[in-house]
Amino acid sequence: MEDKKREMLSEAKSAAGGKDKIKKLLGEKIVNWQEKNPKRHYIEIKKEHLRDSAAVLFTELGLRFNIATALDNIKNMEVLYHFSDDTTGVIFSLRVATDRDGGEIPTISDIITGAKWIEREIHELFGITFTGNDNLQRLLLDPAWPEGVYPLRKDYEYGRKEELSEEDEESLRRPNIKIDDEDGDKQCTIIPIGPYHPLQEEPEFFELKVRGEKVVSLNINLGYNHRSIEKISEGKHWDQVTFLVERICGICSCSHPFAYVLAVEDLAGIEIPERAKYIRCVIAELERIHSHLLWLGLAGHFLGYNTVWMWAWKYRETVLDLCEQISGNRNHYAMMKAGGVRRDILNSEIDDMKANLKTIVSKIDMFKGAVLDDPVIHARTKNVGILTKEDAIRYCVTGPTARASGIRQDIRKIDIANSAYGLVDWDMIVLENGDVFDKAVCRVLEMYESVKIINQCFDRLKELNEGNICTEIWDLPAGEGIGRYEAPRGECWHYVKSDGGNTPIRHKIRAPSYMNILSNEVAAVGGIVSDAAITLAAVDPCYCCTERMQAVENGKIKYDWESLIKMSQEKTMKLKAEQK
Amino acid sequence: MPVINKLNILTKSIWVFHFAAAACNNCDIEILDVLTPRFDAERFGIKLIGSIKHADAMLVSGIVTRKTAHMLKDIYAMAPQPLAVVAFGSCASSQGMFKDSCMRTVPVDEIIPVNAYIPGCPPRPEAIIDGVVKVIKKLRGEI
Ligand code: SF4
Repeated sequence: MEDKKREMLSEAKSAAGGKDKIKKLLGEKIVNWQEKNPKRHYIEIKKEHLRDSAAVLFTELGLRFNIATALDNIKNMEVLYHFSDDTTGVIFSLRVATDRDGGEIPTISDIITGAKWIEREIHELFGITFTGNDNLQRLLLDPAWPEGVYPLRKDYEYGRKEELSEEDEESLRRPNIKIDDEDGDKQCTIIPIGPYHPLQEEPEFFELKVRGEKVVSLNINLGYNHRSIEKISEGKHWDQVTFLVERICGICSCSHPFAYVLAVEDLAGIEIPERAKYIRCVIAELERIHSHLLWLGLAGHFLGYNTVWMWAWKYRETVLDLCEQISGNRNHYAMMKAGGVRRDILNSEIDDMKANLKTIVSKIDMFKGAVLDDPVIHARTKNVGILTKEDAIRYCVTGPTARASGIRQDIRKIDIANSAYGLVDWDMIVLENGDVFDKAVCRVLEMYESVKIINQCFDRLKELNEGNICTEIWDLPAGEGIGRYEAPRGECWHYVKSDGGNTPIRHKIRAPSYMNILSNEVAAVGGIVSDAAITLAAVDPCYCCTERMQAVENGKIKYDWESLIKMSQEKTMKLKAEQK
Repeated sequence: MPVINKLNILTKSIWVFHFAAAACNNCDIEILDVLTPRFDAERFGIKLIGSIKHADAMLVSGIVTRKTAHMLKDIYAMAPQPLAVVAFGSCASSQGMFKDSCMRTVPVDEIIPVNAYIPGCPPRPEAIIDGVVKVIKKLRGEI
C-alpha cells in the first residue's frame, strides 16, 4: 500500500512537471488555461499558434496525439486537439476557434501523420478547411452526398436523411479516391481488395498498387460502415447512449460503454463504489480474452490455417458462457452505467466461475505451445508487416499494435479512475519487433494477464458485500468530459459535452482502429502481395480436420482424435527439425 | 398437381453468402460462431462461401447505408436464382436503433425480397439454427 501511495505521489509530481513545462514552452501563446481536474487540461490558443504549439507538444515533449474533436457552437466552430502524456495519463487539449462559415485552420497533418484522417473527417462533417492539407477528399461520406451539407452541424436536424437518386447510386460504384496511375509507371498494377471480399468480415476497400509481387503503395477507402453514431447520440438520453455505443462494435461492446461512462463520470466528477470497479474490470477483461481469441482464430483463418480458427473459437465459447452468466447475454453485455454497473455478481457463483476460468488457462497454454512454436506460423508471420517504433509514434497507433513495436503504452496503467486496475497486480506486455508475430505473441501473453486480473477481482469481490454497485447521478452539470479505456485493440476514446440538459450536445468517439488501420500504409508497403502459396503450400498440417474427424475403416476407428493430434504434432516436430 | 416450389431444391446443404451491410460485427461473428465446433452447422452441409455465384442463401446483416445499398442490389442481381434471403439481426430486419441515422437508406426488405427474418441483437446461435430450420421447412412448404 505504501508503495502505491508513493507511486501516486510521484505520478502527481511528474504530472505537475509536464504542466509547468508546457506553460513555459507555450508562454505567451496561451490565451486561457483551464484545469478541469489534475488529469484534464484545456488550453485555449489562437489558431495562428496551433502549428507551433502542436509541434511543441508532439515533437518536443513526445506526447501522443489522440484525436481532434470539432464542435459547432453556433456562434463559431471550435476544434480541440487532444494530446496524451502516456507516462502520467494526463490529457492536454488545445482549443482553437474559427468562423462558423468558411472557417479555416492550419493543418497539422504534416507534423503528425496520425492527424491525416481526422482532418478529412472534420472537413466533410463540419465544413472546416485545413489550410495546407492537400488531401481533404471525403473519407466517410459518399461522393453523392450533397455539397455544403454538413451532417454534424447543429442545423442538421436529428433524423434527417438525404435523398439518393438512381443515377447517384450508379456513381457510387467507384470508390472516393484512387491511387493515381498517371505517374507513367507502366509496370504497376492496382489490385483492389474489397469492399466485399471473401476474406473480409466487413466492408472495407483497399487498393494495392503493386510492381511485380511487391506492394508499392496502399490506399484505404472507408465509410461503408459509417452509421453516424455521433449524430444519433445527440438525440438520445444520457443513459440510452450507453446502449448505443455498445453497438459501435460487437467485439468491443464493453470497451466503448466503459470509455463513455468514464467520460460522463469525468464530466460530473464522481467516484463509483468499489464493488462496481471490480465488476467493471471482470467483464472488461473477459471481453479482452474473448477478443484476443477471436483475433487469433481469424488470423489463423487468414493464413489459411483453419484449425487455429476452429480451436480458438471453440475455447472462446467458455468465455462467452462466463459473460452470459454475469450479464445475461453472450455479447452486448449492457453492464456499464454512468455511476457504476447495472448488475451485480453473486458472491456464491464466484468459485464456480473461477473454476471455469482455470480451464481457459490450460487452453491458452496450448495455444502458446502449438501456435507460437509452429514453424509454419513463424515462416508466415516473422518479419512480415513490420511497423517500426518511429512509424508507430508518427501514426499515433495504440494497443497491442503499439506495444508490439516497443512502445510502453497502456491506458489501464495510467488512467485508472473508476476502475480497479490500480487495485490489482498485473504487468504490461511490451515487445520489440513490431511484426505480425510479435503482435500475436503480445495478445497471447495479455490473455494471461487478463486471467490474473479477473482472479484478483473475484477474490476482492468475495470480501465485499453484494449490492452496492451504483452511485446514482441525478443531475449532470454543463461541461466537458473525456473518458478512455484500453480496449483489446487499443485506446478507446470518448469525449462528451453537456449543456446541463438531457442529452449530450456533442459526443466524439474514436475507436482504436481509426489510428491503427492508417498505419497499414507503412506496414503493408514493401511486402509481398501473396506469399501464401510459397510458404504454406509445402505443408499445411490441418489441425482443423484433426479435431473434427475420425477416420473410420471397416467400421472400426482407425485414427481417433488423440492419435490424429499426435500425428500432427509429430509432423510439426519433424518440420521444426528440418527448419533448423 | 401440387405447385412445385422452386426453392424446394435448396433444402439440402445450403451454401451461404454473407453480406455485411453496416453491421456492428456481432451479427457477423455469431454467423461464424455457428460454424465453429460448439454449434457446428457445417454438419448439415451449411457452409460459408466467398462468391454469391455459388450461394443458395444470402444472409444480410446490419443497416443498409448509402454506400452499401447499390452493392446489395448488384450482388442480389448477380446471384443465380433461386436464392433465399435472410435478414439477420434487428438492424437488417427493422433498422433497429439506427433508424434515425442520416446514413441509413431503407430496410433490407424494401431493397430486395426477403424470405425470412432472424431477430435478435445479435441472434443467439440457437436462434440462428432455429431460423435456418424454419427457412428449410418453409422452403419445403411444411409451414
Ligand atoms: S442487430 Fe445488433 S448485433 Fe446485429 S449488427 Fe445490429 S446492432 Fe449489431
